[in-house]
Amino acid sequence: MPSEETKERIIKAIDLGRTVLHYGWVPFIIYIGYTRSNPQPSLIKLISPLA
Amino acid sequence: MICALFGRIFRSHMKRSAQRIVVNTVMSSTSPQKAPEPSSSSLLSFVPGGSALSGLNSKFQGWRASLGLSNPGTAENLQKEVKATLLQNMFFDGARADLSKSLSMNPVFQVTHSFALGSQTAPPSYNFGAVFANNNIFLQGSMDDGGNLSMRFNQGWGGNHVTKVQSQISSQPGHSMIQIEHDYQGADYSMNVKTLNPSVLDGAGIYIGSYLQSITKNLALGVESYLQRADPSSSELNTQFMAKYTSTDKNWIATAQLQPAGILSATYWQKLSEKVDVAADLQVLALPDRRDAVATLGAKYDLRFSTFRAQLDSSGKVSAFLEQRFAPTFAFLVTGEIDHFKNAAKVGVGVMIESSSLTPEEMGLTPEGLPLPPP
Repeated sequence: MPSEETKERIIKAIDLGRTVLHYGWVPFIIYIGYTRSNPQPSLIKLISPLA
Repeated sequence: MICALFGRIFRSHMKRSAQRIVVNTVMSSTSPQKAPEPSSSSLLSFVPGGSALSGLNSKFQGWRASLGLSNPGTAENLQKEVKATLLQNMFFDGARADLSKSLSMNPVFQVTHSFALGSQTAPPSYNFGAVFANNNIFLQGSMDDGGNLSMRFNQGWGGNHVTKVQSQISSQPGHSMIQIEHDYQGADYSMNVKTLNPSVLDGAGIYIGSYLQSITKNLALGVESYLQRADPSSSELNTQFMAKYTSTDKNWIATAQLQPAGILSATYWQKLSEKVDVAADLQVLALPDRRDAVATLGAKYDLRFSTFRAQLDSSGKVSAFLEQRFAPTFAFLVTGEIDHFKNAAKVGVGVMIESSSLTPEEMGLTPEGLPLPPP
Protein backbone atom coordinates (compact mmCIF):
# COMPACT_ATOMS: atom_id res chain seq x y z
CA MET A 1 0.00 0.00 0.00
CA PRO A 2 1.52 3.36 -0.96
CA SER A 3 2.03 5.99 1.69
CA GLU A 4 -0.13 9.10 1.96
CA GLU A 5 2.56 11.20 0.35
CA THR A 6 2.83 8.94 -2.70
CA LYS A 7 -0.94 8.89 -3.00
CA GLU A 8 -1.03 12.65 -2.98
CA ARG A 9 1.62 12.74 -5.69
CA ILE A 10 -0.25 10.22 -7.87
CA ILE A 11 -3.48 12.21 -7.56
CA LYS A 12 -1.64 15.37 -8.56
CA ALA A 13 -0.04 13.64 -11.55
CA ILE A 14 -3.42 12.30 -12.72
CA ASP A 15 -4.96 15.76 -12.40
CA LEU A 16 -2.14 17.28 -14.42
CA GLY A 17 -2.48 14.56 -17.04
CA ARG A 18 -6.20 15.19 -17.30
CA THR A 19 -5.67 18.94 -17.77
CA VAL A 20 -3.06 18.35 -20.46
CA LEU A 21 -5.40 15.93 -22.25
CA HIS A 22 -8.35 18.30 -21.89
CA TYR A 23 -6.71 21.29 -23.54
CA GLY A 24 -4.06 19.53 -25.60
CA TRP A 25 -5.92 16.76 -27.41
CA VAL A 26 -7.64 18.76 -30.19
CA PRO A 27 -4.49 20.86 -30.89
CA PHE A 28 -2.52 17.61 -30.93
CA ILE A 29 -4.80 16.08 -33.59
CA ILE A 30 -4.60 19.27 -35.63
CA TYR A 31 -0.82 19.25 -35.39
CA ILE A 32 -0.59 15.58 -36.39
CA GLY A 33 -3.07 16.10 -39.24
CA TYR A 34 -1.36 19.27 -40.42
CA THR A 35 2.09 17.72 -40.53
CA ARG A 36 1.11 14.34 -41.98
CA SER A 37 -1.50 15.50 -44.51
CA ASN A 38 -0.87 15.08 -48.16
CA PRO A 39 -0.97 17.79 -49.52
CA GLN A 40 -0.40 20.09 -46.57
CA PRO A 41 -3.41 22.38 -46.08
CA SER A 42 -3.18 26.09 -45.39
CA LEU A 43 -3.77 27.20 -41.81
CA ILE A 44 -6.73 29.45 -42.57
CA LYS A 45 -8.59 26.57 -44.21
CA LEU A 46 -7.92 24.51 -41.13
CA ILE A 47 -9.61 26.84 -38.66
CA SER A 48 -12.24 28.89 -40.46
CA PRO A 49 -15.58 27.26 -41.27
CA LEU A 50 -16.04 29.45 -44.37
CA ALA A 51 -12.70 29.39 -46.15
CA MET B 1 -12.21 -24.44 -14.49
CA ILE B 2 -12.10 -20.84 -15.60
CA CYS B 3 -8.32 -20.87 -15.40
CA ALA B 4 -8.26 -23.93 -17.62
CA LEU B 5 -10.58 -22.26 -20.10
CA PHE B 6 -8.45 -19.14 -20.24
CA GLY B 7 -5.34 -21.23 -20.53
CA ARG B 8 -6.82 -23.04 -23.49
CA ILE B 9 -7.93 -19.84 -25.16
CA PHE B 10 -4.53 -18.29 -24.63
CA ARG B 11 -2.72 -21.34 -25.90
CA SER B 12 -4.89 -21.63 -28.98
CA HIS B 13 -4.37 -17.99 -29.66
CA MET B 14 -0.59 -18.27 -29.32
CA LYS B 15 -0.67 -21.23 -31.63
CA ARG B 16 -2.74 -19.41 -34.19
CA SER B 17 -0.53 -16.35 -34.22
CA ALA B 18 2.52 -18.58 -34.50
CA GLN B 19 0.92 -20.30 -37.45
CA ARG B 20 0.05 -16.99 -38.98
CA ILE B 21 3.62 -15.79 -38.67
CA VAL B 22 4.80 -18.98 -40.33
CA VAL B 23 2.30 -18.50 -43.15
CA ASN B 24 3.33 -14.88 -43.56
CA THR B 25 7.01 -15.68 -43.77
CA VAL B 26 6.27 -18.44 -46.22
CA MET B 27 4.16 -16.11 -48.31
CA SER B 28 6.83 -13.46 -48.36
CA SER B 29 9.67 -15.79 -49.25
CA THR B 30 10.13 -16.38 -52.96
CA SER B 31 10.52 -20.16 -52.94
CA PRO B 32 7.09 -21.80 -52.95
CA GLN B 33 6.72 -23.85 -49.82
CA LYS B 34 3.77 -25.19 -47.91
CA ALA B 35 3.09 -24.10 -44.37
CA PRO B 36 3.63 -27.02 -42.01
CA GLU B 37 0.33 -28.66 -41.16
CA PRO B 38 -0.33 -29.27 -37.49
CA SER B 39 0.64 -32.90 -37.00
CA SER B 40 -2.25 -35.08 -35.95
CA SER B 41 -0.16 -38.22 -35.52
CA SER B 42 1.48 -36.94 -32.34
CA LEU B 43 -1.37 -38.55 -30.39
CA LEU B 44 -0.34 -42.00 -31.60
CA SER B 45 3.19 -41.65 -30.35
CA PHE B 46 1.81 -41.42 -26.86
CA VAL B 47 4.60 -39.74 -24.97
CA PRO B 48 3.41 -38.93 -21.45
CA GLY B 49 2.95 -35.31 -20.46
CA GLY B 50 2.82 -32.14 -22.52
CA SER B 51 3.28 -33.46 -26.03
CA ALA B 52 0.13 -35.59 -25.77
CA LEU B 53 -1.74 -32.57 -24.53
CA SER B 54 -0.44 -30.37 -27.31
CA GLY B 55 -1.34 -33.08 -29.82
CA LEU B 56 -4.86 -33.11 -28.43
CA ASN B 57 -4.90 -29.36 -28.61
CA SER B 58 -3.80 -29.27 -32.24
CA LYS B 59 -6.38 -31.95 -33.05
CA PHE B 60 -9.02 -29.81 -31.34
CA GLN B 61 -7.86 -26.78 -33.32
CA GLY B 62 -7.98 -28.76 -36.55
CA TRP B 63 -11.48 -29.96 -35.76
CA ARG B 64 -12.52 -26.44 -34.85
CA ALA B 65 -11.11 -25.03 -38.11
CA SER B 66 -12.88 -27.78 -40.09
CA LEU B 67 -16.25 -26.48 -38.87
CA GLY B 68 -15.70 -23.37 -40.96
CA LEU B 69 -17.27 -21.00 -38.45
CA SER B 70 -17.09 -17.31 -39.16
CA ASN B 71 -16.44 -14.48 -36.74
CA PRO B 72 -19.67 -13.57 -34.91
CA GLY B 73 -18.93 -9.82 -34.72
CA THR B 74 -18.24 -8.06 -31.46
CA ALA B 75 -20.47 -8.18 -28.41
CA GLU B 76 -20.80 -4.43 -28.56
CA ASN B 77 -22.10 -4.59 -32.13
CA LEU B 78 -24.59 -7.36 -31.38
CA GLN B 79 -27.50 -5.09 -32.27
CA LYS B 80 -25.67 -3.01 -34.87
CA GLU B 81 -28.09 -3.62 -37.73
CA VAL B 82 -31.10 -2.80 -35.58
CA LYS B 83 -29.50 0.39 -34.31
CA ALA B 84 -28.72 1.44 -37.88
CA THR B 85 -32.34 0.89 -38.91
CA LEU B 86 -34.09 2.53 -35.97
CA LEU B 87 -33.66 6.26 -35.55
CA GLN B 88 -33.21 6.63 -31.77
CA ASN B 89 -29.51 7.30 -32.11
CA MET B 90 -29.77 9.95 -34.80
CA PHE B 91 -32.81 11.85 -33.61
CA PHE B 92 -32.37 15.54 -32.84
CA ASP B 93 -34.70 18.49 -32.44
CA GLY B 94 -34.28 22.18 -33.19
CA ALA B 95 -31.90 23.27 -35.92
CA ARG B 96 -28.38 22.12 -36.60
CA ALA B 97 -25.67 22.59 -39.16
CA ASP B 98 -22.60 20.46 -39.67
CA LEU B 99 -19.82 21.86 -41.81
CA SER B 100 -17.12 19.33 -42.37
CA LYS B 101 -13.98 19.86 -44.34
CA SER B 102 -11.77 17.13 -45.72
CA LEU B 103 -8.19 18.29 -45.80
CA SER B 104 -6.56 15.04 -46.77
CA MET B 105 -7.77 11.65 -47.96
CA ASN B 106 -4.78 9.44 -47.22
CA PRO B 107 -4.27 9.68 -44.29
CA VAL B 108 -7.78 10.93 -43.50
CA PHE B 109 -7.78 14.37 -41.92
CA GLN B 110 -11.02 16.21 -41.43
CA VAL B 111 -12.28 19.09 -39.31
CA THR B 112 -15.93 19.69 -38.41
CA HIS B 113 -17.81 22.70 -37.14
CA SER B 114 -21.26 21.88 -35.76
CA PHE B 115 -23.88 24.35 -34.64
CA ALA B 116 -27.07 23.41 -32.80
CA LEU B 117 -29.88 25.77 -31.89
CA GLY B 118 -33.40 25.76 -30.49
CA SER B 119 -33.53 22.28 -29.00
CA GLN B 120 -36.08 21.60 -26.24
CA THR B 121 -33.63 19.56 -24.24
CA ALA B 122 -30.18 21.07 -24.86
CA PRO B 123 -28.93 24.67 -24.89
CA PRO B 124 -27.53 26.15 -28.13
CA SER B 125 -24.04 24.87 -28.73
CA TYR B 126 -21.06 25.03 -31.00
CA ASN B 127 -18.73 22.10 -31.40
CA PHE B 128 -15.37 21.88 -33.11
CA GLY B 129 -14.10 18.46 -34.03
CA ALA B 130 -11.05 17.00 -35.70
CA VAL B 131 -10.41 13.50 -37.02
CA PHE B 132 -7.19 11.93 -38.13
CA ALA B 133 -6.91 8.32 -39.26
CA ASN B 134 -4.46 6.13 -41.05
CA ASN B 135 -4.29 2.35 -41.32
CA ASN B 136 -3.47 1.74 -37.67
CA ILE B 137 -4.43 4.83 -35.74
CA PHE B 138 -7.69 6.69 -35.35
CA LEU B 139 -7.71 9.98 -33.44
CA GLN B 140 -10.84 11.97 -32.85
CA GLY B 141 -11.49 14.93 -30.61
CA SER B 142 -14.21 17.49 -30.25
CA MET B 143 -14.55 20.48 -27.98
CA ASP B 144 -17.80 22.32 -27.36
CA ASP B 145 -18.33 25.95 -26.38
CA GLY B 146 -18.56 24.98 -22.70
CA GLY B 147 -15.04 23.60 -22.81
CA ASN B 148 -16.02 19.95 -22.65
CA LEU B 149 -13.77 17.60 -24.54
CA SER B 150 -14.82 14.27 -25.91
CA MET B 151 -12.09 12.16 -27.38
CA ARG B 152 -11.44 8.78 -28.94
CA PHE B 153 -8.22 7.03 -29.68
CA ASN B 154 -8.01 3.65 -31.41
CA GLN B 155 -4.79 1.82 -32.05
CA GLY B 156 -4.72 -1.29 -34.19
CA TRP B 157 -1.88 -3.69 -33.48
CA GLY B 158 -2.28 -5.98 -36.48
CA GLY B 159 -3.64 -9.50 -36.10
CA ASN B 160 -7.13 -8.27 -35.16
CA HIS B 161 -6.06 -6.63 -31.90
CA VAL B 162 -7.42 -3.15 -31.28
CA THR B 163 -7.00 -0.97 -28.21
CA LYS B 164 -9.50 1.83 -27.74
CA VAL B 165 -9.58 4.76 -25.36
CA GLN B 166 -12.63 6.93 -25.02
CA SER B 167 -12.98 9.86 -22.71
CA GLN B 168 -15.13 12.82 -21.81
CA ILE B 169 -13.43 15.57 -19.87
CA SER B 170 -15.32 18.47 -18.41
CA SER B 171 -14.12 21.40 -16.36
CA GLN B 172 -16.84 20.67 -13.81
CA PRO B 173 -15.64 18.09 -11.31
CA GLY B 174 -17.38 14.72 -11.39
CA HIS B 175 -18.44 14.89 -15.04
CA SER B 176 -15.35 13.32 -16.53
CA MET B 177 -15.05 9.72 -17.56
CA ILE B 178 -12.55 7.50 -19.29
CA GLN B 179 -12.98 4.07 -20.82
CA ILE B 180 -10.12 1.86 -21.90
CA GLU B 181 -10.79 -1.34 -23.81
CA HIS B 182 -9.07 -4.00 -25.79
CA ASP B 183 -10.72 -6.00 -28.55
CA TYR B 184 -9.59 -9.22 -30.12
CA GLN B 185 -11.41 -10.93 -32.95
CA GLY B 186 -10.43 -14.53 -33.59
CA ALA B 187 -11.50 -16.76 -36.44
CA ASP B 188 -14.75 -17.81 -34.76
CA TYR B 189 -14.89 -15.78 -31.57
CA SER B 190 -14.50 -12.23 -30.24
CA MET B 191 -13.27 -11.07 -26.88
CA ASN B 192 -13.28 -7.69 -25.26
CA VAL B 193 -12.10 -6.40 -21.92
CA LYS B 194 -12.82 -2.90 -20.79
CA THR B 195 -12.60 -0.71 -17.77
CA LEU B 196 -14.46 2.47 -16.90
CA ASN B 197 -12.94 5.12 -14.64
CA PRO B 198 -10.34 2.81 -13.13
CA SER B 199 -8.64 4.20 -10.07
CA VAL B 200 -4.91 3.61 -9.84
CA LEU B 201 -4.93 3.99 -6.07
CA ASP B 202 -7.53 1.54 -4.79
CA GLY B 203 -8.68 -0.40 -7.86
CA ALA B 204 -12.18 1.07 -7.80
CA GLY B 205 -14.06 1.34 -11.06
CA ILE B 206 -16.09 -0.78 -13.44
CA TYR B 207 -14.56 -3.74 -15.23
CA ILE B 208 -16.32 -5.54 -18.08
CA GLY B 209 -15.25 -8.65 -19.95
CA SER B 210 -17.15 -10.26 -22.81
CA TYR B 211 -16.72 -13.32 -24.98
CA LEU B 212 -18.81 -14.22 -28.01
CA GLN B 213 -18.36 -17.53 -29.77
CA SER B 214 -19.89 -18.96 -32.95
CA ILE B 215 -21.45 -22.31 -32.08
CA THR B 216 -22.81 -23.21 -35.50
CA LYS B 217 -22.69 -21.35 -38.80
CA ASN B 218 -25.80 -19.46 -37.75
CA LEU B 219 -25.75 -19.26 -33.99
CA ALA B 220 -23.37 -17.38 -31.71
CA LEU B 221 -23.56 -17.40 -27.92
CA GLY B 222 -21.82 -15.07 -25.54
CA VAL B 223 -21.42 -13.95 -22.00
CA GLU B 224 -20.58 -10.57 -20.54
CA SER B 225 -19.54 -9.99 -16.95
CA TYR B 226 -19.69 -6.67 -15.25
CA LEU B 227 -17.77 -6.04 -12.05
CA GLN B 228 -18.49 -2.83 -10.21
CA ARG B 229 -16.13 -1.88 -7.41
CA ALA B 230 -17.21 1.24 -5.56
CA ASP B 231 -14.34 0.86 -3.09
CA PRO B 232 -11.94 -1.97 -2.25
CA SER B 233 -14.30 -3.51 0.30
CA SER B 234 -17.45 -3.77 -1.80
CA SER B 235 -17.88 -5.09 -5.28
CA GLU B 236 -20.81 -6.31 -7.31
CA LEU B 237 -20.69 -8.80 -10.14
CA ASN B 238 -23.38 -9.06 -12.80
CA THR B 239 -23.42 -11.39 -15.76
CA GLN B 240 -25.46 -11.16 -18.90
CA PHE B 241 -25.96 -13.74 -21.61
CA MET B 242 -26.18 -13.06 -25.33
CA ALA B 243 -27.35 -15.00 -28.33
CA LYS B 244 -27.31 -14.04 -31.99
CA TYR B 245 -28.86 -16.02 -34.80
CA THR B 246 -27.95 -15.03 -38.36
CA SER B 247 -29.78 -16.66 -41.25
CA THR B 248 -27.67 -18.54 -43.77
CA ASP B 249 -28.17 -15.90 -46.47
CA LYS B 250 -27.56 -13.15 -43.85
CA ASN B 251 -30.91 -11.57 -44.66
CA TRP B 252 -32.22 -11.64 -41.14
CA ILE B 253 -30.69 -11.52 -37.68
CA ALA B 254 -32.30 -12.18 -34.31
CA THR B 255 -30.54 -11.34 -31.05
CA ALA B 256 -31.35 -11.67 -27.37
CA GLN B 257 -29.60 -10.34 -24.29
CA LEU B 258 -30.65 -11.51 -20.86
CA GLN B 259 -29.60 -10.31 -17.43
CA PRO B 260 -30.69 -12.83 -14.81
CA ALA B 261 -31.85 -9.99 -12.56
CA GLY B 262 -34.75 -9.58 -14.97
CA ILE B 263 -33.78 -7.46 -17.96
CA LEU B 264 -34.37 -8.85 -21.42
CA SER B 265 -33.61 -7.18 -24.71
CA ALA B 266 -34.62 -8.94 -27.91
CA THR B 267 -34.24 -7.66 -31.44
CA TYR B 268 -35.06 -8.79 -34.94
CA TRP B 269 -33.74 -7.29 -38.17
CA GLN B 270 -34.59 -8.24 -41.71
CA LYS B 271 -33.54 -7.03 -45.13
CA LEU B 272 -36.71 -7.09 -47.18
CA SER B 273 -35.09 -5.94 -50.40
CA GLU B 274 -32.02 -4.06 -51.59
CA LYS B 275 -33.55 -0.82 -50.39
CA VAL B 276 -35.73 -1.71 -47.41
CA ASP B 277 -34.67 -2.88 -43.95
CA VAL B 278 -37.07 -3.47 -41.08
CA ALA B 279 -36.27 -3.90 -37.40
CA ALA B 280 -38.11 -4.72 -34.21
CA ASP B 281 -36.84 -4.23 -30.70
CA LEU B 282 -38.32 -5.37 -27.39
CA GLN B 283 -37.02 -4.28 -23.99
CA VAL B 284 -38.50 -5.98 -20.94
CA LEU B 285 -37.75 -4.92 -17.38
CA ALA B 286 -39.06 -7.33 -14.77
CA LEU B 287 -37.35 -6.22 -11.57
CA PRO B 288 -39.09 -6.88 -8.23
CA ASP B 289 -39.94 -3.20 -7.76
CA ARG B 290 -40.42 -2.17 -11.35
CA ARG B 291 -42.04 -3.80 -14.36
CA ASP B 292 -41.89 -2.18 -17.74
CA ALA B 293 -41.70 -3.08 -21.40
CA VAL B 294 -41.23 -1.13 -24.61
CA ALA B 295 -41.54 -2.48 -28.13
CA THR B 296 -40.31 -0.57 -31.16
CA LEU B 297 -40.94 -1.25 -34.81
CA GLY B 298 -39.08 0.59 -37.54
CA ALA B 299 -38.24 0.63 -41.23
CA LYS B 300 -35.48 2.19 -43.28
CA TYR B 301 -35.66 3.00 -46.99
CA ASP B 302 -32.41 3.63 -48.82
CA LEU B 303 -33.34 5.52 -51.94
CA ARG B 304 -30.97 6.87 -54.52
CA PHE B 305 -30.46 10.31 -53.05
CA SER B 306 -32.13 9.96 -49.70
CA THR B 307 -32.59 7.77 -46.66
CA PHE B 308 -35.91 7.64 -44.89
CA ARG B 309 -36.52 6.06 -41.49
CA ALA B 310 -39.83 5.69 -39.74
CA GLN B 311 -40.65 4.07 -36.43
CA LEU B 312 -43.46 3.43 -34.02
CA ASP B 313 -43.16 2.36 -30.40
CA SER B 314 -45.47 1.10 -27.70
CA SER B 315 -45.05 4.22 -25.56
CA GLY B 316 -47.09 6.10 -28.17
CA LYS B 317 -44.29 7.74 -30.11
CA VAL B 318 -44.26 7.99 -33.87
CA SER B 319 -41.11 9.39 -35.42
CA ALA B 320 -39.54 9.85 -38.81
CA PHE B 321 -36.20 10.96 -40.15
CA LEU B 322 -35.40 12.02 -43.71
CA GLU B 323 -31.92 12.59 -45.01
CA GLN B 324 -32.00 14.07 -48.50
CA ARG B 325 -28.81 14.52 -50.49
CA PHE B 326 -29.18 17.31 -53.02
CA ALA B 327 -25.56 17.02 -54.04
CA PRO B 328 -22.74 14.74 -52.96
CA THR B 329 -21.55 17.44 -50.59
CA PHE B 330 -24.87 18.80 -49.37
CA ALA B 331 -27.47 16.94 -47.32
CA PHE B 332 -30.68 18.19 -45.77
CA LEU B 333 -32.17 16.51 -42.69
CA VAL B 334 -35.71 16.63 -41.31
CA THR B 335 -36.83 14.82 -38.19
CA GLY B 336 -40.12 14.72 -36.38
CA GLU B 337 -41.60 12.95 -33.41
CA ILE B 338 -45.12 12.94 -32.01
CA ASP B 339 -45.75 11.53 -28.55
CA HIS B 340 -49.45 10.67 -28.63
CA PHE B 341 -49.73 9.74 -24.95
CA LYS B 342 -48.06 12.91 -23.65
CA ASN B 343 -49.45 15.08 -26.43
CA ALA B 344 -46.04 16.49 -27.29
CA ALA B 345 -44.12 16.93 -30.52
CA LYS B 346 -40.58 17.67 -31.60
CA VAL B 347 -39.29 18.82 -34.96
CA GLY B 348 -35.75 19.18 -36.18
CA VAL B 349 -34.12 20.46 -39.36
CA GLY B 350 -30.47 20.30 -40.26
CA VAL B 351 -27.95 20.72 -43.03
CA MET B 352 -24.74 18.85 -43.58
CA ILE B 353 -22.18 20.49 -45.83
CA GLU B 354 -18.96 18.85 -46.77
CA SER B 355 -16.34 20.90 -48.46
CA SER B 356 -12.96 19.89 -49.59
CA SER B 357 -9.85 21.82 -50.43
CA LEU B 358 -8.66 18.91 -52.53
CA THR B 359 -8.76 18.65 -56.29
CA PRO B 360 -10.40 15.52 -57.73
CA GLU B 361 -6.95 14.12 -58.51
CA GLU B 362 -5.89 14.45 -54.89
CA MET B 363 -9.04 12.72 -53.71
CA GLY B 364 -8.08 9.67 -55.70
CA LEU B 365 -10.63 10.21 -58.45
CA THR B 366 -8.06 10.24 -61.23
CA PRO B 367 -9.32 8.12 -64.12
CA GLU B 368 -7.04 5.21 -64.75
CA GLY B 369 -4.70 5.48 -67.69
CA LEU B 370 -3.96 9.15 -67.13
CA PRO B 371 -0.50 9.66 -65.68
CA LEU B 372 -0.48 11.31 -62.26
CA PRO B 373 1.26 14.69 -62.15
CA PRO B 374 4.67 14.49 -60.50
CA PRO B 375 4.53 15.40 -56.82
